[in-house]
Amino acid sequence: MSEQPAQPVQPDQRDPQLRMERLVDAGSLVALTERDTSGMFAAYGNINGSRVSIFATDATIQGGAMGEAGAYVILKAYEDAMAHKNPVIGIWHSGGARLREGVASLHAFGLVFHAITQASGKIPQLSLVVGPAAGGGAYGPALTDVIVLGPEGRIFVTGPDVVKSVTGESVDMARLGGPEPHGRRSGVVHVVAETEDQAYESIKTVADLLGAQGVLAAKLPEVNLAGLLPESSKRAYDVHPLIEGILDADSQLQELHPKWAPNIVTTLGRFGGRTVGVVANNPLRLGGCLDSSSAEKAARFVRMCDSFGVPLLVIVDVPGYLPGVGQEWDGVVRRGAKLLHAFSEAVVPRVTLITRKAYGGAYIAMNSRSLGATKVFAWPGAEVAVMGAVAAIRVLHRRILADIPDDQRVAMELELAAEHEKISGGVARAIEIGVVDEILEPTVTRTALAQAILQAPANRGQHGNIPL
Amino acid sequence: MAEADQKIHTIRAEMVANVLSVSVTIGESVIIGQTVLLLDSMKMEIPVLSEVSGKVIEIAITPGEIIQEGDPLIMIAEH
Repeated sequence: MSEQPAQPVQPDQRDPQLRMERLVDAGSLVALTERDTSGMFAAYGNINGSRVSIFATDATIQGGAMGEAGAYVILKAYEDAMAHKNPVIGIWHSGGARLREGVASLHAFGLVFHAITQASGKIPQLSLVVGPAAGGGAYGPALTDVIVLGPEGRIFVTGPDVVKSVTGESVDMARLGGPEPHGRRSGVVHVVAETEDQAYESIKTVADLLGAQGVLAAKLPEVNLAGLLPESSKRAYDVHPLIEGILDADSQLQELHPKWAPNIVTTLGRFGGRTVGVVANNPLRLGGCLDSSSAEKAARFVRMCDSFGVPLLVIVDVPGYLPGVGQEWDGVVRRGAKLLHAFSEAVVPRVTLITRKAYGGAYIAMNSRSLGATKVFAWPGAEVAVMGAVAAIRVLHRRILADIPDDQRVAMELELAAEHEKISGGVARAIEIGVVDEILEPTVTRTALAQAILQAPANRGQHGNIPL
Repeated sequence: MAEADQKIHTIRAEMVANVLSVSVTIGESVIIGQTVLLLDSMKMEIPVLSEVSGKVIEIAITPGEIIQEGDPLIMIAEH
């Protein structure tokens, strides 16, 4: 060390303690481990007054690479989080395993993966990726419930150099594992933040929503939600304003996976002061159809909410499953089945609101009565059917329609469709057979949804949250 | 900035659809979130919104045309 008088130096922004202090309430951070050469640091503190456990890689030492000693620091954070049943937050900026430690560092990562998995579904686990997170540093966050990626965050199994030497492919870190690929294409990251401050804010919001869920009020101020739908029932629209209308006006909100599979929206927010998970079809994207990615995205969200006892509001306006070769080869049967499984398994209160239509297999998948929905509401004019009436009569009356001259066919189709709707479509038949419980006016919807949640047992699923 | 230096953004089809109408013309300025065309798919009218602000430089489709997933629809030179 130099003996010269200390110069005022800019603190290294990669310092793990500094990073933790950006997350927690001022003055609340308490160390759980020593500051040492392990490349890892663990502490606990408060976010908006609620306790959280935190560990952070120390990117100032060997680029945040982790070996055996680092793994034990993470295990310490997990031990603390499990003992206090509070959320655990990992701040990642790590090149992966310490090469010099050889197989011992692989063993170390394995121990961490095991601890994360053992805690899955028991305590909320959040990851903030602020720098490169490679190899084991990628799979650590990947096993957790929610990953927030800062603007400098990069997640990949192998970096650009290895990719280049093995496949000859030239690619930079951002294109390989930055905000664009992980936010839009891979579904690896739940939240992409535009600034580092925003990344910290998102983690705080999610920690608060999952860690301090609040108590649901019995009577809620009503909003006229009908005005948020377009006049024409055929017209697609963005579902976000409707979600915001249903949630509290001053709700903390965090949408997960906003750009990946945007045809379904999965949002954590406050409803009557209590944390809820909203699953909603978004007609603006792909017409709101379910497809393989959106079913998988929603399934994971439903299982996460169920494991933390977060009630679900399911807002349905779905024309069906997206047809096509691409979807079938993409595994829409296997991946779509995840959503059926997730809803059927969930024991939290889960209330469905059909706003316009629910057709076919997608009707079943969107938390229908048959899958065990707590309650199924529909707005007046909603349609529950195997398919749209015109499409249905084209199948049912194929022979009759084939014999009709072209210029009369449209009129005939409309006539048959009206007749068909009377006997099988609309919401009347659905009420009659008990698959829809009640027709609600949009002006009394919020209180009815709250009552349905309050009347249901406040159960919590007993399972982990595998990253589906 | 010279036209040649501008970033060209291509709006592509998300799904198989029938083009109902085109809401913009070549040379027109558009902003993020503006409806540029209307598609008919899954028995619904689905607006396609621009993801960027800029000037429309090419319209690759015409009303009535059936488009496939990934087809280029409209090219916009970003502001």
